[in-house]
Amino acid sequence: MSEVAIQIRGMNKFYGTFHALKEINLTVQKGDRIVICGPSGSGKSTMIRCVNRLEEHQAGVIEVLGTELNDEVGNIDVIRRDVGMVFQHFNLFPHLTVLDNCTLSPMLSRKVSQAEAEKTAMMYLERVKIPEQAEKFPGELSGGQQQRVAIARALCMKPEILLFDEPTSALDPEMISEVLEVMVELAQDGMTMLCVTHEMGFARQVADRVIFMDKGEIVEEGPPEDFFNSPKEERTRTFLQQILSH
Amino acid sequence: MTALDHAEIRAMGPSLTESLRRRYFSSPGNTAISLVGGALLLWIVWTVLNWAVFKSVWTTPDGTSEVCKGIDGACWAVIHQRGRLIIFGLFPYEEQWRSTLACVAMLITAILSCVPWFWNALRLAMLWVVGFAIFYILMRGGFLGLLSVRPSEWGGLTLTVFIYAAGILVGMPMAIAFALLRRSELPVISGFIAGLIDGVRSLPLITILFAAALIMPFILPGWLQGDKIWRVIFGFGLFFAAYQAEIIRSGIQALPVGQEEAAKALGMSYFHRTTRIILPQAFRNALPPTINQFVITFKETSLVVIVGFFEVLASGNAAYGSGEWSFAYVEVYVFVGLIYYVFVFSLSRYGAYLERRMRVGQH
Ligand SMILES: Nc1ncnc2c1ncn2[C@@H]1O[C@H](COP(=O)(O)OP(=O)(O)OP(=O)(O)O)[C@@H](O)[C@H]1O
Ligand SMILES: [Mg+2]
Repeated sequence: MSEVAIQIRGMNKFYGTFHALKEINLTVQKGDRIVICGPSGSGKSTMIRCVNRLEEHQAGVIEVLGTELNDEVGNIDVIRRDVGMVFQHFNLFPHLTVLDNCTLSPMLSRKVSQAEAEKTAMMYLERVKIPEQAEKFPGELSGGQQQRVAIARALCMKPEILLFDEPTSALDPEMISEVLEVMVELAQDGMTMLCVTHEMGFARQVADRVIFMDKGEIVEEGPPEDFFNSPKEERTRTFLQQILSH
Repeated sequence: MTALDHAEIRAMGPSLTESLRRRYFSSPGNTAISLVGGALLLWIVWTVLNWAVFKSVWTTPDGTSEVCKGIDGACWAVIHQRGRLIIFGLFPYEEQWRSTLACVAMLITAILSCVPWFWNALRLAMLWVVGFAIFYILMRGGFLGLLSVRPSEWGGLTLTVFIYAAGILVGMPMAIAFALLRRSELPVISGFIAGLIDGVRSLPLITILFAAALIMPFILPGWLQGDKIWRVIFGFGLFFAAYQAEIIRSGIQALPVGQEEAAKALGMSYFHRTTRIILPQAFRNALPPTINQFVITFKETSLVVIVGFFEVLASGNAAYGSGEWSFAYVEVYVFVGLIYYVFVFSLSRYGAYLERRMRVGQH
């Protein structure tokens, strides 16, 4: 199985005159689990946000599931339905119950019936181990529970690809593991994942490849064993020392 | 904490007499102020009750103001005699049951919109359009043998309710559209809307009503003019929309960007993002100023009198203005004031209820 999920070629992104991403090249096959790390401000979020076009790139090519993302792309919403995203700050809809958070887009965008959507939602809520919270509002849950709901919400769209932008960095330490556990299970089920995270244990355990970014560039890319044990670049070594020293 | 603990704590707290003593009679100075204040309050209550209830006259057997000659209290007979004028204006006497039914339909619509089942843009819009249509058809007549009554003959409280409901019904969609367009990424559109809102807000309502009633007929082609009342309602709605649009926009801007991003990332269309995620939350955020705007708008309906519509306040003026009852203007104003009060008070209570409800689950 080597179907291409995401292909990025010579991609550049500017915020005004600020060159946020420089000549990014990246190919992600279906089923790949990729971890992206790097210092703050290096462009990790920007890069994965370009994949579902929450940010627009200015040069180069991004192809997602066979469709190139550019101004001609007729309906970006259709592509976004196949590319789920989990945010650092969960971004659950506070005015809807957990269940409604999970069923809203499947019903509106995929035209799934309510009964069907609720069945799927309960299945995924069970999978993230909080079916009993379905009728609560997001504000009544802990951070870890909210993030698991956010993962379930993304899964309810049955996406081909899941993007994670630092899903555990807004969580208290004791809640990180419950979220990571869910992510590990997803990885084992073969979900195509792009995770921005500094959880190196997670990277070692599930990643096929680790990508290190700095100053808007991909500096180094490789399987976790090589990446952690024998990083080639000086910048990678410095970063790893900093992050592993605590 | 168990029930017993609560009881104990309450028992340990100050008793009613004790807390009264502490609050009002803690020192000789305080005691003096409390006594004088209390006496003053009692005197005011007594005087008002005396005037309004004990020494007042409520009905007039012969329809004239004779019964009120030489009494010290309120002459409520004026309401008995002229109340219909205040409520229905010059609507034909035999047809006033239609006005009554129409107002009841409006009231039912208002009550139904408090039921959570209707809290969804489509249902709420349908409810109001239907309620309003019933109101209009009943008032207008001209079918099934019902006498046709043109809006220019409507008046009193009924007309106030009509102009208010119609103005908001026209104004609210405009306000939402303005708020959304003002956030457009195209500078031409957002700039135009910003200019429009500022333009309307810089004009006094009177000017807008004048323009709608008197100047528009010279500018618009005949087929677009419509009846004067509709032009006035449109002007009224536009004025409401200019303010309400900014209120809604403030509600939208208070939302974290993550909300729209999450909806986008789920592949929701612009329409669904706006109607299911952004606007419901924006309205929650903007509830207190929205209720405020509704209250202000209700009172502003009284300005339509300057373009020749006899709404409730103007009808009130007419009710005592005819020589015979001219001494009873205080009673008439108290009555009209009471109508306004009941309305504004219900609205603010409803707002408080909504706020309480919406706080559930929102932390
Ligand atoms: N909307 C924006 N406008 C201008 N500059 C931006 C914007 N968003 C991000 N940037 C800049 O782009 C660079 C990359 O930002 P990005 O958020 O992708 O970094 P990151 O690697 O995700 O960092 P962190 O680990 O702190 O989340 C930063 O220098 C940031 O200041
Ligand atoms: Mg980031």
